[in-house]
Amino acid sequence: MAYRYHEKEGDDEKMKKWLWCMILLVLLLYGCAQTNILERIGLTTLIGYDVGKEKKMQTTAVIREVNPEFQSKVDVITTEDNTSKGNRMEVNRRVSKKVMIGQMRVILFGEALAEEGLHYYIDASLENASVNNGVYTAIVKDQVAPLLEYDYQNIEDIGQHIYRLLEQNIQQEYMISSMLHEVGRDYYAVGRDMAMPIIEKEEELIKLSGIALFKDGKMVSTLPPPDSFYVKVIRDTFKSGIYETTLQSEDLPSILQKKTDDTMTVAFDAIRSKRTMTLVDAKNPEFDLTIKLKARVLEVSPSFDQSHRKSVEALEKAIQHKLTKELARVIAHSQKVESDVFGFGEEYRSHVRHAELTKEKWHSLYKNMKVNIHVDFVILRNGVFE
Amino acid sequence: MKIPPKEMFNAHLLFFVMHGAQIGVGVQGFQRIIYQDAHQDAWISVLLAGIATHIVTFFMIRTLEMYGSNDLYGIHQDIFGRWIGNVFNVIYVLYCFIAFFSVLRNYIEVIQAWIFPNIGEWFLASTLLLIIIYAFTAGLRVMVGVSFFSVILSLWLVLMLGFPLKFASVNNLLPILETDFRSILKGAHSMTFTIIGFEILMVIYPFVQDKKQVSKYAHLSLLATTTIYVAVMVVSLMYYSGGEIQRTVWATLTLFSFISFPFIERFEFIVVCFWMLIIIPNLCLYAWAAYRGTIRLINISSTKFIWLFALLIFLGTLVVQTRFQINGMDTKLSRAAFYIVFLYPILLWLIVIMRKKVMMKK
Amino acid sequence: MIFKRLLDKQQSSPPMEAPPTNVEPIANTAQLFIQAIQAATHYPDDLIVKSLSPTLTLLYINHLVDNQTLNDHIIAPLQVNTTTTPEAVIDTLSVADIQHGSILAEAIDALVHGAALIHVAGYSKVIFASIITRETRALSTPENESQVIGTQVGFNESLATNISLIRRYIISPDLCHKKITIGRRTHTAVSLIYIHGIASEQMVNTVQQRLTDLRIDALIDSAVLAEMIDDNSLSVFPQMLLTERPDRFCDGLLDGKVGIVVDGSSMAVICPQSFSEFFQSQEDQNLRWPIATFVRLLRLAAFFLSVYLTPFYVAALTFHYEVIPQAFIVPLSESRALVPFPPIFEALLLEIIIELLREAGARLPTKIGQTIGIVGGIVIGTAAVQAGITSNILLIIIALSALASFTSPSYMMGNVVRLIRFPIILLAGYWGFYGIMLAFCFLLIHLLRQSSLGAPYLSPFYPPRFKDMRDSIIRMPIPLTAKRPTFTRPTDEYKFNPDEPIKPKKS
Repeated sequence: MAYRYHEKEGDDEKMKKWLWCMILLVLLLYGCAQTNILERIGLTTLIGYDVGKEKKMQTTAVIREVNPEFQSKVDVITTEDNTSKGNRMEVNRRVSKKVMIGQMRVILFGEALAEEGLHYYIDASLENASVNNGVYTAIVKDQVAPLLEYDYQNIEDIGQHIYRLLEQNIQQEYMISSMLHEVGRDYYAVGRDMAMPIIEKEEELIKLSGIALFKDGKMVSTLPPPDSFYVKVIRDTFKSGIYETTLQSEDLPSILQKKTDDTMTVAFDAIRSKRTMTLVDAKNPEFDLTIKLKARVLEVSPSFDQSHRKSVEALEKAIQHKLTKELARVIAHSQKVESDVFGFGEEYRSHVRHAELTKEKWHSLYKNMKVNIHVDFVILRNGVFE
Repeated sequence: MKIPPKEMFNAHLLFFVMHGAQIGVGVQGFQRIIYQDAHQDAWISVLLAGIATHIVTFFMIRTLEMYGSNDLYGIHQDIFGRWIGNVFNVIYVLYCFIAFFSVLRNYIEVIQAWIFPNIGEWFLASTLLLIIIYAFTAGLRVMVGVSFFSVILSLWLVLMLGFPLKFASVNNLLPILETDFRSILKGAHSMTFTIIGFEILMVIYPFVQDKKQVSKYAHLSLLATTTIYVAVMVVSLMYYSGGEIQRTVWATLTLFSFISFPFIERFEFIVVCFWMLIIIPNLCLYAWAAYRGTIRLINISSTKFIWLFALLIFLGTLVVQTRFQINGMDTKLSRAAFYIVFLYPILLWLIVIMRKKVMMKK
Repeated sequence: MIFKRLLDKQQSSPPMEAPPTNVEPIANTAQLFIQAIQAATHYPDDLIVKSLSPTLTLLYINHLVDNQTLNDHIIAPLQVNTTTTPEAVIDTLSVADIQHGSILAEAIDALVHGAALIHVAGYSKVIFASIITRETRALSTPENESQVIGTQVGFNESLATNISLIRRYIISPDLCHKKITIGRRTHTAVSLIYIHGIASEQMVNTVQQRLTDLRIDALIDSAVLAEMIDDNSLSVFPQMLLTERPDRFCDGLLDGKVGIVVDGSSMAVICPQSFSEFFQSQEDQNLRWPIATFVRLLRLAAFFLSVYLTPFYVAALTFHYEVIPQAFIVPLSESRALVPFPPIFEALLLEIIIELLREAGARLPTKIGQTIGIVGGIVIGTAAVQAGITSNILLIIIALSALASFTSPSYMMGNVVRLIRFPIILLAGYWGFYGIMLAFCFLLIHLLRQSSLGAPYLSPFYPPRFKDMRDSIIRMPIPLTAKRPTFTRPTDEYKFNPDEPIKPKKS
């Protein structure tokens, strides 16, 4: 309201109208949006799916609740119903607070369920806007429910614990990454299959016990944890990850051997790895797989003189050899179970025009695929004491 | 119609106006629609659509230059005479109305799908409309300002595209040009809904101060839009696998889903709400374009117009409720927009040229 | 609004300022003249009437004139030389400001402005010798806009002192000074100050027009004046700067702005002023540029933090629990566990407590005020958390946003920040991030709608002027800021030639 400089007549009237409108709205819309006040909801931090005994699915939810009496508590509730939403309702009937899944961090699947196929569960999770695409997925050996329901002595919040366990191992690149997004991507990709870590209960602890290989959303095989290094090396480029191997005496060059039947244990820490896949032959798929690894030797036993160039080179050679062998073994295993967790199929699809590739077609091709593995292993340095 | 110099704005602001008018709700989920036809070459479709906008704009500017300081509505009246011209004007006003409605309804749908599933659309519509009315009643200068800030303040979203690259795989883009050209063109055609908005130039042209600079800034803004669209498309293609992208309704928003900072997670919740700032110029400019057409038809004050306009839109949101209706509306609008925005300006240019030649002969 | 209507009504009614008595001449006998004066001033007890000689009569208002001058330069010379004509009196007196008039109203006006009237019997003329003395406090440091580096002098309530302060900083014949009287009853002297050759003529005319058109009966302080001559008096955002720093005032003048100084008010008005300039302090000019830039960015960040931090907390805890990082979720929910209220209520409660403390601190005498700050901050805060009516995390957030709102160098803008937080908290409490964004858009459009003397309020960001941005939320080194801000539409655009180095190279 400039005292004389009002260009438009009735500006004040308009302002008045405005104010009224806003006030009216505020009054009218009181309580319009549904609130989810943090401490009044039960936060599901982890959810596990199993095959149901009577109904289609059994879910076990780890719910964190905050109560004024005891600061916070963790409930593990197992229910059975036909849909995940139905299960949520079932859970709601058992807890005092509204159960929400927006803070979910981990989704676990029972082994039996995984063997039946996870398609439905992956779709349902991707579809739900409240579910973060960054949640971790994993397979539980046997059933999820017993693993979660067990009263661990040293684990207070099982949901948090499993999340930290997976997060820590995946971020350190000891384990293959299995975020929901990655799982969904691999599931819907033509030339790639999902892979997830497996966890199992070991008395009072929970441990990572391997990698589950999938074919078309169905779990078909497993690999032991040490093999996760090989799977990771072939799956993608990465930056760290400790690897330990025992070189058999036949692989060892004589320069490193003191006695002829000596084995040598080497632990190294891959600083950088780069893999390149090239399709050599499209008809009967044949790939050249080149892996360049730069590493830092952490431990060698028995120790040898690392200041000698020759012996270091010999060690590099030996490791190369060993790696090639192991990689070939892992690939062969995955071929046997027709699970392309490495993404050879994507490479094939992206380089063969009009391949009209489908998952089925690729799986039949994959079985007979040939891979030539070249490993280029370089020891950059060792520790500070030679 | 003479435009007072006070209402005119600098040519470089045209960049923000056109860019702000183009980027709206479409970019939130255009990936799946384009992918359906063009598969991994979807980014080429986007690029082609971008090039098409350049061509159309070129003709638009040619047409407008011939008339100096007249807008589309004036040109219609001049070419086709008062009556038939006004029929065309009514069509264009209707188009603006529906485009406005579509943007608003789509945004409401996003809000409901992501954040507030049980908040009434009438509430979201009325709050957004009040904001629009507040901007509209202040005149074009403020609306241009809103476009300017909308573009500047959303620039950081482009940087966020860097995060999904962690999961990107270049293989997803290969083999390039596997899809046949027809399908790529079809994909480009599906871009219509996302890329329209630049037709605001036809109405806003008389308000630009330095007409010689128009072409430069108009094309720059189109270039910026196309770059952003192509970037979003390329990142999405690399991030998602084929089957996934087809099933993701708002792929751009889902891109932000896993981003987390020490102080905040689930970035898409912020982005969805922040998107309001991005659609406000869309809405303002469509409403304004409709207003410019309406005052050629009937004598109405801008305040009265916008309240009426808002009321109609509001009633519309009560009618269109389901996702199917919205998608149906989008497809229809997209089809109409293809003729109105892409083909018609070239036709108009031809007519104007022909007319000029006939006049010269006389 | 009501005020304006009153003004409109007044404008339509016949003007009251020119009663027919205005042209009444001065009587030529002392007796009648004294009576007339006494009648016009309602027989005040401090009106002194002195007969110096049979022909000369002296009238003045006690305490309004300087006694020393009165004795030495008026009474003494007139007693020595007995003069009988007004011309002779004027010659005799050694007072600088001396005038004469023949209309009664003029005489009364001069009298209340601190003049001694000398009436010479037989003449219908009177001599006004202005020997005013007004009680004023000594110059002191600016209390509200204190700064570490820079001048330590502030305006005081005396117009003359203030003008002299300004004239000390800008020694130039181009410094224009126009006097306008405002207020039907108070006749407050208002000075319009600008620099000819820099300030835009149009803006000067606009201000002058707005000042002369004001029809109010009283003007006590410049803040009232600023509000009344604003472009949009209804907006919560000030569009003119109130400052008590002469250096800031002069800096504004040198940027082509127009200044207004009101007698009796220690704050001067500077206009036009853009939004970003409210976050600048005069000290920024004195600091080195990287530090000044940092401080300015800090202040702008503080503005946003102060306005949006609490609403963000409310929104996240009420609706968007998904966005809270995993590491925060347990401490946050545990701190909230005992709180019986929803977050919006909790936040409003705490905000109101903070506002109460602030208001109490401002109203109480300084010494008690400090105690209140400590009592409030520590005792109430801790007690509130222990009693379980707020969470300690919110306490930190509220304290932080209160702290941030104090960083604004302009107290007026600080108040705005203080106020607009409340509606945004409400919106956040009802509709989460959507509500916050609604508020953000509304605020943006509102700021875009504002203007200061017709100049865009959001300048130099909109309309974008890249050269002006060098001295806006950042401050570039002085050689790069040769241009005066564009939005003041200065007649002389450059402070110095940007192509020539301002300091010749050292040889």
